[in-house]
Amino acid sequence: MKIEHFLEKNEVREITIFNQLVLNGGTLSYGKMLNHLGVSKASLENDLSSIAVRIDGFDQKVQLQYDGQTIGLSMSDDLSLQQIYRLYLDQSIKLQIITFLFKHQEFSITQLTQKLAISESSLFRKIKELNSHLKEFGIKIRNGQMQGEELQIRYFYFQFYCYIEDKTTFLAEHPNDRLTQMIDAMEKFLNVTITPENRERLTIWLIISNARVTIIDKQAKRLRTQMKAYRKDPFFHKIQVFVLRYFSRYSIEVDEVESMIHFAFLLAFPVLTEPDFHEYRLLRDRHTPIASMDTLIAETIINHFKYRRLPYMLERDMSYHLTHIHTRLYFFQGDIEIYEYEGIIAKEKQIVGTNVVSFARTLLKTSTKTLADKTGENNSLLKMELLKYISLLVLITFKMASVIQVGIDLKMDGLYKETLGELLILKLKPIKGVKVEHYDPTKIYDLVLTNEEPKAQANYDDARIYILSEILSSFDMVNIQRIIQELNK
Amino acid sequence: MRVVIIGASFAGVAAAFEVRHIHPDAEILLLEKQDNLGYIPSGLHLYWDKKISDLDEARFVTEGQLDKHGIVYHLNATVQKVNTTQKIITYDQHDLSDQLSYDKLIIAAGSRQLSEKITGSAQESVLKYKRYDEAQAALIKVEESEHITIIGGGQVGVEAADLLTAMEKQVTLVESMDYVLFKYLDEDMIKPIEKNMIEKGVDLRMRQTVSSIEMEPDQKVTVCLGEGSVTSYAVIMGVNVRPHLPFLDETIKQHTDQTIAVDRYLRTSVEDVFAVGDCIQLSGPGEDRVYVPLINNAVRTGIVAAANLIEPSRTFKGSLRTIGTRVFGKYIASTGMTEAESLFTDRTVESHRQKVRLTSLADSDTVTLKYVYDAKTHELLGAQMISNANILEKINVLALAIQSKQTLEDLQQTDYFFNPAYSQMIATTNLIAWMDERADEDEN
Repeated sequence: MKIEHFLEKNEVREITIFNQLVLNGGTLSYGKMLNHLGVSKASLENDLSSIAVRIDGFDQKVQLQYDGQTIGLSMSDDLSLQQIYRLYLDQSIKLQIITFLFKHQEFSITQLTQKLAISESSLFRKIKELNSHLKEFGIKIRNGQMQGEELQIRYFYFQFYCYIEDKTTFLAEHPNDRLTQMIDAMEKFLNVTITPENRERLTIWLIISNARVTIIDKQAKRLRTQMKAYRKDPFFHKIQVFVLRYFSRYSIEVDEVESMIHFAFLLAFPVLTEPDFHEYRLLRDRHTPIASMDTLIAETIINHFKYRRLPYMLERDMSYHLTHIHTRLYFFQGDIEIYEYEGIIAKEKQIVGTNVVSFARTLLKTSTKTLADKTGENNSLLKMELLKYISLLVLITFKMASVIQVGIDLKMDGLYKETLGELLILKLKPIKGVKVEHYDPTKIYDLVLTNEEPKAQANYDDARIYILSEILSSFDMVNIQRIIQELNK
Repeated sequence: MRVVIIGASFAGVAAAFEVRHIHPDAEILLLEKQDNLGYIPSGLHLYWDKKISDLDEARFVTEGQLDKHGIVYHLNATVQKVNTTQKIITYDQHDLSDQLSYDKLIIAAGSRQLSEKITGSAQESVLKYKRYDEAQAALIKVEESEHITIIGGGQVGVEAADLLTAMEKQVTLVESMDYVLFKYLDEDMIKPIEKNMIEKGVDLRMRQTVSSIEMEPDQKVTVCLGEGSVTSYAVIMGVNVRPHLPFLDETIKQHTDQTIAVDRYLRTSVEDVFAVGDCIQLSGPGEDRVYVPLINNAVRTGIVAAANLIEPSRTFKGSLRTIGTRVFGKYIASTGMTEAESLFTDRTVESHRQKVRLTSLADSDTVTLKYVYDAKTHELLGAQMISNANILEKINVLALAIQSKQTLEDLQQTDYFFNPAYSQMIATTNLIAWMDERADEDEN
């Protein structure tokens, strides 16, 4: 699902016009714009006039100039494209249908046609369109209700309120004294730290969850099956005790599905910090689907890059991200594409090369095969998780590259030693991911550059040694670069 | 002034008496759904415990008492609709629909013990016995059942398990938490009870949630759990109660948990409409609003609402969730915050557990006492007791201490009598930490 699925065709075109202008430095010729949009000039003129009416509310902060030749956009410094998107989304009927459905849980056609001031047929059409996009979440609007697995419904609303609807307004509309108390208690009980950013995420989730907790006849067949492997999970048990105790304070009956839903969410989204997650990782059963997939993928990554091992903290970090990816693949269906998938893939390919992207695809193929039977290029969840794999691979490559420590230990007279050493440092510095300095015997290096054969390797611990043939020669430079590349793998 | 009260259980009746006391001229009308008056919800337990010989003896109020106070009551009257704009109540009685106007309305409709999550829990063989007719049916069913499954390890469930075990029934008790009576006692306090339960042959199934109840062809019932299932002759629902208020109109605001929103004077969002008892949330031990459906709260809220009918004059002081009972040979009592529940308070709390002798005599019984207090101010926040001897009244002393915000130091100075046959050099409720007796030994 994409943000634009909440908009009408002409609105999507208008948004695209803004987008193109931003991507092209604020000005674009009619020709290029027409080419991009694939519409007639008259239609473009229409869109531009429509935009002019819409941005009127911004009080000159956004201005669009067009003269039949070029289109120009100017925006005040405190305004971004996001606010323009917001303007369009705020007027979206589809968005209002979802919001109404969340607030009231149920609606009658008359109620909704009156509220939105639209005809019945147009309401049906919009619901039908929404349903075609909700399909990937495994949910649908039917008989005035959101229907499907409860976890999926809450997950959809969560994505919706995080990325489509105005998050700030949503949070402001829901007084959160009780939520603050609930999160504080959760922090204490689970013995974790919830950072402000994660707290906001959790607050949105809990507003949605608490609004739906009293709904009878929730569907959870799929979740119950998925949770079979986690019945004895220590974190699940803790969540279950917390959920039972919390709701025992109110006249709300909860069954284990409520705890299962929170378990899936807490592991799939960054709510726990890495150190707190690590505590759980030490306790969890390694044979459960997500944990074993984490191990398999981690090993595949390490093997692929021919790393012997990753630094301890990087390995932990990788596992943290992998669990998020794999928990989402295991429990959830569908996603909202908050980033322009094709665009990012294209950009990433340019920066990190096609290898990383195709390797990420292999990883995704491996994990989805076991964790979830989700196929098809158009599944947004798979697209988003692929982006996450790519980001993780890039992160690991960068982090691994940055740890190459090079020490220069020239054996010559003081002045030469100093000067040539400095020149070498200057020459090596531009190489990405390398830290070069004068050799310090108290430090550990990956590579030591020297000009004489060392009397004993022991002097340099495990560091690789390169003996310079001719200081500053291109011959040496090529060799040094090769060694660095080797060390990077 | 016509005061209509929906529900003639503890809250409704208490409200009616108090209204009569304050407003001698008021016309008071009680509308009761059941066809009988004043049945004590735990009457069946009294019967099984041989405290009464007939369920009919389990009455907290008689028709005569209401008549004497000029309180009119309609039994078998089911309220269908409350119209707060016109101040009219529509109700069914003996298959006829009738209407009634009011000047002041008190909603005391109580709660019911029904699960909306457990499929099959509404069928007849699943016993609930809060009401007289339900209790009569349950009595017969239990008598002919050898093996009974109880769902829920709260006060009702554990008491039932105790009484049924004493009647030599085979009992399986299913509880979703790690331990029974978790609302009232901390895990470290409950151990002797659980030990006795197991010794008495109760099949304890902790950390198990019931998903469905299915009838078997041979009159047996299967309770399906997260893991496995239990088949027995009867099932008792000991789950939490919840209000059932289908008659409310939209103007009366409700919380997410379906309780009616009330202010400190127990006024609802609509003028002249009050709500009490199991229909509302109360200010609980942690001073935030929670749902505490206990009879003591029902009675007290009934009285407070009655006092505020004309103008707001009395605020409700809140609930400490005070309970006292005897199960599996132990007297247990609790008031205020437990250590586990202190999770929900901003305060930093500390707790202390000690075993003290009850008298100065050599054969004295002991009581295990746990108290929870504010680490900074030493204000007492909660207390729990467990003993072979009847210490139940002592919890009321501590409840009063908590309500009047006494600190541990205040309590140490409270003046209690000394008599070696009945007390120790220091009274139990003085909460003196150094009066610890045989702390490492088991109470038995």
